[in-house]
Amino acid sequence: MVKITIPAEVKELIAKRGIKESDVNDVINTAAATKRYIKKGNDGLAKKVIGGLTVYVVSDLSGKGTAVVKTAYAHKMSLGKIVNVMSETDWKTPDGRPIAQGHVEMEYMTVKRNGPALVDPATGDSWVEEYLATKTLAVAEGLFEKKRA
Amino acid sequence: MGYEEMFPAMDKRWHDNATKRFASPFVDNPHDRIDVDPIILSAAAVACGYTIRDFYEKPELGIHCVGYISHLYDLLPVTHWFFSLPWVTELGLKLVYKETLPPISTGPIYSAPEDVDKMHVPSKEELVNAQAKYGQLATVPMFYRIYDYVAKNLPMTLVPISYGFDLVGAAAEMVGVENFIMWTFTEPEAADKLVDKYTQTSINGAEALADKYGSAMLIVGSVLANNDIFNDEGVERYSVKNMYKYVDGCFKRGAGPQVFYHLCGNHETDYKLFRDGLMWSPFTVFHVGYKGRNPFPSSLLKQNFQDRATCMGSVDTKLMIDPNPNKVYNQAKEQLLGGRDSKKGYILGTSCETPPYTIPGQMLALVKAARDFGTYGTW
Repeated sequence: MVKITIPAEVKELIAKRGIKESDVNDVINTAAATKRYIKKGNDGLAKKVIGGLTVYVVSDLSGKGTAVVKTAYAHKMSLGKIVNVMSETDWKTPDGRPIAQGHVEMEYMTVKRNGPALVDPATGDSWVEEYLATKTLAVAEGLFEKKRA
Repeated sequence: MGYEEMFPAMDKRWHDNATKRFASPFVDNPHDRIDVDPIILSAAAVACGYTIRDFYEKPELGIHCVGYISHLYDLLPVTHWFFSLPWVTELGLKLVYKETLPPISTGPIYSAPEDVDKMHVPSKEELVNAQAKYGQLATVPMFYRIYDYVAKNLPMTLVPISYGFDLVGAAAEMVGVENFIMWTFTEPEAADKLVDKYTQTSINGAEALADKYGSAMLIVGSVLANNDIFNDEGVERYSVKNMYKYVDGCFKRGAGPQVFYHLCGNHETDYKLFRDGLMWSPFTVFHVGYKGRNPFPSSLLKQNFQDRATCMGSVDTKLMIDPNPNKVYNQAKEQLLGGRDSKKGYILGTSCETPPYTIPGQMLALVKAARDFGTYGTW
């Protein structure tokens, strides 16, 4: 088990976003057990689908066996297959394989469209960065709900 | 009298139907028929008895004309107003109104490559407060006025839009288009820097729009950067990469998620570069004007872009002022048959803005073709 610390200001932020601390712990522990997360410097980015939401946690992993949570966010769209792979980013897998910028299929309310994501073509995994999840995709989800009404 | 007092209220029955139709290609919920977007601008003002100059000089009047005439021709349920040179005023160019044209520049203000270093990228705050210094063509205050007018008088048509528009073409105006094209051969780093400064200004502006309205659709194009002017490498270097940078930068600042990519002019071979060079959001429309001298074939558009975005096909704008409605009808039919079953939806458009003196019979031919060959469930 990873020793997880969630600073007070981060607790406040994730509460506003409707994310539970238990979900944050679940995301980190699952990532540690499966080694399915990506790193940039000391930062780790992990995700897990929990109850229809894809929950992400960014943590500082500089301490041994510890994770200090820097932020957590979520989106409702589900991520599908990789659509294209573009340039490499500074993110890497735990074993040092570079992660690329690209696009993936995103499904919401039975509609499949494309959206930008970090992609690992070797495994088919993908991750959405915070600015896209909390701004671009959040508005897109609202538009889907309105247009499908 | 306010402009709103000069127009009857919008017909709710028409608007409700048009709204459902407009949603169709984005949410796989077919309704009515393929939508038609002739990119109507000053043609709407002319159709209401005003002038081209009125459209640009009185933007609130102009956008109300767009909303009103969209009902006449059964077009989109949303309003828009723009011209091709946003943000250049704040970068130092002087624009003047003309009788028969959108606002144009009085001339370039820089001539030497080292001048580009002097160009100041206005911050978001400077753009928001630009009216005192630059008057009514200051971009952010102008769009705030326009969208506030629409929110008050045509709220059901409101889509706040931020325009990067032609990142290369507008940047080139700062130094003169011919000079800029020369730089792309002799001073490519200065040309890069110039387009980047314009792009950064546009991103700051998009953030100002998104701050106020919660989001902002993005319209960005590749107009000067086309195969009549540049080879594919030039289009990629100056246009595709900056379009990606613009959309990514805007998303980081809260603008989007809707994106309309508009490739005007001849994109004979460079169209292939956009497929894996642009940023695609769940609400993206991709439009190409011409391939060589002919409208870009919708079948080719579908083949290359249907797995990326909603495709928008083109009828040659020249036909909209050619007194032969069947030319429009037949070309629209060909484009509809080529593109109507695009996987992420299809919209029938014109290659660029429909001309100010568009003949009403040609507009009817365009929409009639969509009704005859674009009705969901009949193909």
